[in-house]
Amino acid sequence: MPNWASLGIIFGLVGAASIVLFGPIGVSGTYPRLIGEVAQVLNPAYAESNPYLVRMGGLFRPETFLVIGLLIGGFLGARKDSVRAPKVELPHAGTSSNGRRYTEAFLAGFLLLFGARLAGGCTSGLIISGMQQLSIAGFVFAGGVFATGIGTAKFMQAIRVGGN
Amino acid sequence: MANIFGLLVGIAMGVLIQRVRASSPAMILQNLRLENLIIIKFMATTIAVGMIAVYTLNVFVPDAMHFDIKPTYLVGVALGGLIFGVGFGLGGYCPGTCVVAIGEGRKDAWFALGGGVVGALAFTLVYTTAIEPIIALLDYGKITVQDLVNLPAIVPALVIGALFLVVVKVLPTYVKQA
Repeated sequence: MPNWASLGIIFGLVGAASIVLFGPIGVSGTYPRLIGEVAQVLNPAYAESNPYLVRMGGLFRPETFLVIGLLIGGFLGARKDSVRAPKVELPHAGTSSNGRRYTEAFLAGFLLLFGARLAGGCTSGLIISGMQQLSIAGFVFAGGVFATGIGTAKFMQAIRVGGN
Repeated sequence: MANIFGLLVGIAMGVLIQRVRASSPAMILQNLRLENLIIIKFMATTIAVGMIAVYTLNVFVPDAMHFDIKPTYLVGVALGGLIFGVGFGLGGYCPGTCVVAIGEGRKDAWFALGGGVVGALAFTLVYTTAIEPIIALLDYGKITVQDLVNLPAIVPALVIGALFLVVVKVLPTYVKQA
């Protein structure tokens, strides 16, 4: 069995175990909860008047520990690689500089979180655990993500390969 | 205790994401350009195994399950997916994989994380004015496939799970470029 298949089976069982242990996996909600905690310190009146921050609640919950786990897991997984500090990858053909990559990564992060919070979840909460639970929202979100994801990837290739 | 379970699930996910190279933006872009389908097949396998596992468990130990179905407000979910996809195709990260990538030592992942925090801040600031009207549109609530087909959940779970696994098996992992 190929590596991705055995890792996929284990990941599927981990996702199921999560639903038994505490609830479905999810990552993107941690970002606005972080905003909420900072707002509680800087401007408590705003934090308590924004209905979204009130609804998302504080950071002391399993999802936050899950995100901390991702950081640890990434570190541990990389111990098996021969290259300890991976170089910055330039994933689009023809990208010339790390600076351009950083700008793209920042802009991408902005769109990811804005889109995820609008939809109510991200790859983990809607695509993986959402579809595992047969939620219609998961299927709709996944369709949208792959439509523009593939479109954007092909578009970046088309404009860069042209020598721009 | 739930927090400790969350940490352990996160560590397991982080190791698996790193080992399959889903935290590599180059790998994600190869998948989105449809040059190889490793991550797409990994995700489909994960979803299929998970849906069969949770709904099989649900037949035997329904009280043990902590299901949490997200609402389908069709316009917001679709629009959110389309915006998310542009970010996915531009950066090659997700909100979770960039955290895994920081753990691995990838410097660009910090920029994705920073952009994510600013994106979540922007979302919070415009929530009342711009977002609430969108998520009120075509809101079908917490609907699932089993609600639509009006069958016990195990039936669509086995059918869709098996279908995903067949598609994964049939599709090539490396695609020949024209």
